[in-house]
Parts: sequence; structure tokens; C-alpha cells
Amino acid sequence: MKIITLKKVLTISILLSLLLIFVILLSVTMGSVKVPPLRSIRILFQSILGLKGAGSETERTIILSLRLPRAILAGFVGAGLSVSGATFQALLRNPLADPYILGVSSGAAVGAIIAILLGLGTFSFGLPLASFLGALLTIMVVFYFGRQDGKIHPHTLLLAGVIIGSFLSALIMFFISVSQKEELHTIIFWLMGDFSFSNARAILIIFPYILLGVFFLYLRSRHLNLILSGEENAVQLGVDVERLKLVSYLSASLITAASVSVCGLIGFVGLIIPHSVRLIFGPDHRLLIPSSALLGASFLIASDTFARTLLAPVELPVGVITAAFGGPFFIYLLRTRKVVKTL
Amino acid sequence: MLFLAIFLGTSASYSTTLKVKDEAGREVAFPFPPKRFVSLAPNITEILFSLGLDEEIVGVSIHCNFPERAKGKVRVGSYISLDFEKITYLKPDLIIATGAGNTRDMVDRLGKLGFQTYVIYPKNFEDILKSIAHIGQVVNREKEARMIIEGMRKRSQKVIELTKGLPRPKVFIQIGDAPIVTVGKGSFADDLIRLAGGENIAGKEKEVYPRFGMEEILKRSPEVIVISSMNPKGDYQRILHEWARWKTIPAVKNGRIHLIDSDLIDRPSPRIIEGLEEIAKVLHPEKFKK
Repeated sequence: MKIITLKKVLTISILLSLLLIFVILLSVTMGSVKVPPLRSIRILFQSILGLKGAGSETERTIILSLRLPRAILAGFVGAGLSVSGATFQALLRNPLADPYILGVSSGAAVGAIIAILLGLGTFSFGLPLASFLGALLTIMVVFYFGRQDGKIHPHTLLLAGVIIGSFLSALIMFFISVSQKEELHTIIFWLMGDFSFSNARAILIIFPYILLGVFFLYLRSRHLNLILSGEENAVQLGVDVERLKLVSYLSASLITAASVSVCGLIGFVGLIIPHSVRLIFGPDHRLLIPSSALLGASFLIASDTFARTLLAPVELPVGVITAAFGGPFFIYLLRTRKVVKTL
Repeated sequence: MLFLAIFLGTSASYSTTLKVKDEAGREVAFPFPPKRFVSLAPNITEILFSLGLDEEIVGVSIHCNFPERAKGKVRVGSYISLDFEKITYLKPDLIIATGAGNTRDMVDRLGKLGFQTYVIYPKNFEDILKSIAHIGQVVNREKEARMIIEGMRKRSQKVIELTKGLPRPKVFIQIGDAPIVTVGKGSFADDLIRLAGGENIAGKEKEVYPRFGMEEILKRSPEVIVISSMNPKGDYQRILHEWARWKTIPAVKNGRIHLIDSDLIDRPSPRIIEGLEEIAKVLHPEKFKK
């Protein structure tokens, strides 16, 4: 393993932060209505400074109430899902793991569907709350069945999660096929990922989970490295492995639950961003976690910008873009980079 | 059901504000008469055009395909996904949406951006006439609306009179072919079949668009089959060919399978009267020979 210094982590983080800022600015200047890029950016900065000069009322609404909240929400979700994915890959020791692998998403979807069927979907907080509760319940059930003798075994946890997830998916399909409620069409969009209802409240709901979750996992990054080099090894070095697995499982799951509850299922980000970062910067979690967060945020903001502009006025599901652009990019990395032993 | 209250606004310009309850029971208040409209559904676009509006319609949905001029309007999204940016840019005085198709959530979000949305929610033929009257009121085209409604009423009355007392053939309307989907109670087409003097074999199904297995269709043996198709040329021949296998169905045996433009029978617009006449024609051809 290459030596990771704090200086290296900081340098890379600053570079990736600059990329993130650039992507946010790009996203704010792009949309189906043409607002000159420079004016868009002026509107943005003036509002940050509390001024109200540039642009017309319409342009300010478009930039500040429509584009900016979306970019911020997509950024948080992208960061959260990437870090959550990286954690699950380490925890389950499985390169195919992603934030949804343990059924959190299906639990959230079932919660959302129940809310819609009960008529709670008309309240703007009803759906996110119900799906968050659905996700929490799933996390607990999976954890309960995924343990043996009070210990987390990666394979048992993985199987429990996948099977409970499939069971919940069956429930989702059942509800969709028997229900005539037109609102259930919302669910189909939700299952494909939907940022169109981004607003300040959605951001307020999820940012504590994602910020705290990512920070918490970052603090554990050294220990996550040790787990990968073998649990016995880690135990000998004085790491409380069971506790570490428990808290990383909970943190990553909570991040996922919060993300899913506000914007549905956004595939691929949590899978390819951590792998891409491993291929570029190596597998050390001290670098992997912050880089995944920043790169994931940039990637999802860029994808969402494409999703809403490519075929405007019709919006594409953002998951289509993440897979369509992320897939080939990842294959490219796989082919050109030397194969590093990542997991 | 609709209560109107026009009163003078407080502003010095003496512009008036119209306050109405829409068909979803929501309070809507907007400057009257409104001059810029966005329509979020094809039937609304058709109604607006039929009322003599054109320049005033500044945005329509991607589904709006009639009249021809609607296709040249700015597109603001689909039933389920709206381009809020475009709408903000178009600055409509009033957005008209439909309860069948557009979501409540979408209307709420438009409200948060400061837009007034009037929601119509017709559920049968009679409701469509009411919706036309309501739209006529909110867009300040009441006289035109009254004329359209009178015309539609006259034509439907004629259909009802011509088919009165005749035996009611059993009808199956096919709106989808894989899986086979038909129209149940509460759909417009079901209402049209009744008015046209027929009996919908799925008319007792609670679902609006129930799925039907072939067994069920064989059992209920329709005497007339109507294929409601979006693209009259493409699938029609193939679907006809598929029906030909089921010779025991009276409609197949007697060659009474007809194609009707789906926009005429499941779109609650003024053109639904044409749909009614076409259904009556295929149910009782002897009465409509000229």
C-alpha cells in the first residue's frame, strides 16, 4: 500500500473541490431556458452576498429556486451514495456491493407506496418520511437476520439483505400491479430516481445524515483499511471489529435511507464512483472516502444536468444518465489503468 | 358547484381578480381576464383552441397533438414531468391542468413558484360539457363555450333518439393489445357506449382500465369489437389478424371489428362528440345510413 500523507489527502481534496465548484456553476448556467452564463453566475453570487441586482425576477426564480436546489441536493446525494457504496464494498468484502444491496432501497420504496396508498402522499413531507421509516425498518430486520452468534458475517449479512430486498421488491410489484391509484405512477419515476422536486426542505432533511455519516466514516477510515487486510489482523491491532462493522453498517445505511427518501433510487453512482477512485488514487480509505464524496457529488450533479437538458422539456430519469455515461467511463478506467488489487 | 366572485382589486390599475373554486375543490385567484395560458393536457388544449384562443396559449404539453397549430406551441413537459423552468419563463397568468393525468404534487409545486392552476376533472360525458363551461368562464370566453356545449348537446341528443329502444349490442373496446386492456366503469368510452345504445361487456368492472384475459372475452362473447388505436395504420392489421383466430366470438364471426381513433373516445375534449357518433355508427349501422 502506498503511503498516504495528510498533505496528499488535502491536495487531492482541494483539486476535487474545485472540480465540484466548477460543475455546480455549469449546472446553474444550463437549462431549457437560456440565461446567459455570466449573468447566471452573477445572480448566484449576488444572492449569496444577499444582494439583488442582476437578472429579471424570472431569471432569479429559475436560477435560485429551480436549478440551485437541484444541484445542491444532487451533490449531497452523490456524495452520500458514493461513500455508502465504498463502505458496503469494504464491509461486505464484495466489489459488487452498492448502497442498495442490502435492501434499504426496496424498504424505502415499500414505505413510499404505503404512504401513497394511505393518501399521505399529498403532504409534501409524507412520502419522504414514510420511505425513511421503511428504510429504517429494513435496516433493522436485515441486521437482525444478518447476524450469527452476535457477530456480523459478511456473507450472512449479504444474503439476508439480498433476500429481504427481493421479498420487498415483490411487494412493490404486487402493489403496482393491483393498484389503480394514479399516484402510483409517481413510484415508477421514484424507482428511476427523480430530482425534480428538489427544494430547500429536501436539502435540510438529508444534509445532516449525509454530512455526519460521511464524516463519521472518514474518522473510521484507518480501521476500515485494517478490516480489509483481514479481521484477525485488525483484532490483534486492537480494533473492536464487531463494533466497527456495526457502526459502519448503520452509518452507510442511514446515508442511503436519507438519500432514497428524498429522490428515489439512483443507481450506479454508489458502485462506480468508489471503484473509479480506487483505480485512480488507490484503495486507502483515508483518501477513498473524501475523494469518493467529492467526485460522487460532481458526477451526480453533472448527470442530473444532462438528464434535465438533453431532451427538454421532457426530463430523463437521472439513473439513465449515470449508467449511460458512468458505464463506459468505468470500462475505460478498467482497461487503461493497471489492475490494482482493490478489494 | 362553482362559485364566482369577481371583485375589484386593490391596486390602482383597477385590474380585477377572479376567485373561483376549481373542479378539484381548490381556491384559485388570478387577474381577470387572464391573457397568457399554459395547458398541461391535450384535451385542455383542444378546448382552448375551440374557444377561439390561439395567441393566448403560450405553452402546451408534449401530448398536445390537436389541432395542428398546437404542435407549434412551446412544450412545457409531459403529464408526469414538467419543465418548471420553461413555465417560469413563459409567465402564464393561468395554468390549466387535469385531475386525470397531472399530479397533485405537480400543481402544488407550480403554486410554490407563484403560479395559479385551474384543475378540471371531468369523469363522464356530462362532466366534459361542464368543464368546457368552466374553462369558458375562467378564460373569459363564456359565449363561445355556450355555443360549443349547445352543439354537442344537440348532436348527442340525436344519437340517443336514433338508438332509443333498439337492442343493445355487447361491445368490447380494446385500448391495449399486450396485455389486452379494456375500458371499465368510470371511463369516458364506457359512458359513450351507453349513450350510443350499446352494452360494454366490461361495464361492471370497477377498474377504469381493466386487464382482460382472452378467456374472459370468449365467455362474454362481444357482438362488436372496437379497437381504439393511436396509430391507425401500424398495429391495426396485426391486431385484426390476431382476433381472426377466435371465430367463436360473434364480433369476429360477423366481421364487426372496427377501428376508432383513440383521441376521439378517451380524450375529454369537444371532439368526443365525434367519438360518440362513430361508436353509435358501428353499433347501429342501419340507423346511420344516409
